[in-house]
Amino acid sequence: MSILIVDDSNDDRLLLKHYLNVAGYKDVLLADSAESAFKILRLGDPSGPNIIVDLILMDIVMPETDGIKACQAIRKNVYFEDIPIIMVSVLDDIKNLQKSFAAGAVDYITKPVNKIEMVTRVRSMLRLKYEIDRRKAREKELIEMTQHLETVNEMLEHLSYFDALTGIPNRRYFEKFIDAEWKRAIRNERPISLIFLDIDNFKDINDKYGHPTGDKCLKKIAKAINKSLRRPGDFLARYGGEEFIVVLSDTVIEGAKNVAENVSAKVAEVEIIMKNTDAKIAVTISAGVSTTIPERNSSYQALINTADQALYKAKKGGKNRVFSDE
Amino acid sequence: MNNEKIIIDADPDLSELIPGFLQHRQDDIRLISEYLEKGDFESLRILGHNMKGAGSGYGFDEISEIGALLEQAAKEKDHTEIRKQAVALEDYLLRVVVVFK
Repeated sequence: MSILIVDDSNDDRLLLKHYLNVAGYKDVLLADSAESAFKILRLGDPSGPNIIVDLILMDIVMPETDGIKACQAIRKNVYFEDIPIIMVSVLDDIKNLQKSFAAGAVDYITKPVNKIEMVTRVRSMLRLKYEIDRRKAREKELIEMTQHLETVNEMLEHLSYFDALTGIPNRRYFEKFIDAEWKRAIRNERPISLIFLDIDNFKDINDKYGHPTGDKCLKKIAKAINKSLRRPGDFLARYGGEEFIVVLSDTVIEGAKNVAENVSAKVAEVEIIMKNTDAKIAVTISAGVSTTIPERNSSYQALINTADQALYKAKKGGKNRVFSDE
Repeated sequence: MNNEKIIIDADPDLSELIPGFLQHRQDDIRLISEYLEKGDFESLRILGHNMKGAGSGYGFDEISEIGALLEQAAKEKDHTEIRKQAVALEDYLLRVVVVFK
């Protein structure tokens, strides 16, 4: 913490420095002119000062640059916008008082200086600056925390919509998506289709090869299904443990069935090779397809049910197949 | 001009600074003469102004008064008044006695 005294009168500089020293402020810098002060503060240097000045006591009447101009120049500098400047001068012109405050000075002490008055004002100004600096630091902390929270919230939101294992949308996201698509289909009177698919004998895979292998299967299958869905509007989500669901907007039953056959073929190509035994696990899916042009005030649940029933029939019918009632 | 001593009770806190201050005032007498010869009223004004501000601070009210009159005289470029104040200062410095309580 240091205080800068700017005064062309040597006697005044010494006197003020003395008062400050006696009051406990040991770190006092002296400048005999505005230019000298600018040098000490490194005003012209874009990288700013290399010292910390907490308060400036500025004389007004000085040759060349006067205190008021000096005050303005210092306050304009980005590094010193908040530095308290107390003008110290003989009050022989009330205009100087006005000009001082207009220039950004925070207080005015008249010469001849009264020791107690000066020390009291310096003390309270430093206290104020200290409080302001503390608040600013806290503010900065809060802003950083807020930004961090925003980032974390975004991450959480993302996590809450995506399945952790496969990385594809989860059931929650599916519900949100189909709700919007359903309403749009109602508005535009367009068909909307669903493919409900299920990995055949997945329970057996888990039992025989263990859950880590089961998880590996799920990931590969999800990837394969995703790859086989070419159209940008098609939406894939993990509906349950081994169930997936695809939403096809603006798609009639023939189109949906085609897509389902493609998906099925792609999944069949997936080979999961067991490292230790060289055994290959073949995977197939069963799929149920449904379609409708939704009516006003209807719910998408009915369409899911239809797809679900079709899936059931696909399973019953021997698995590894696509079935649709329509 | 009388030769009575002027006793000033000074702030013991300032005991180290007062001798220097008085010495500077002594130097000022010479400077006033130089500035006046050169016609440098601006420097005279600032000198007077600073004296006005510092005097009482060190305990010398009279020096503040002289400074004020000197400053005003310099503003008005009044040679006579300036010389008068220089003499007053010299006289004061000769008579002043500083006592530290």
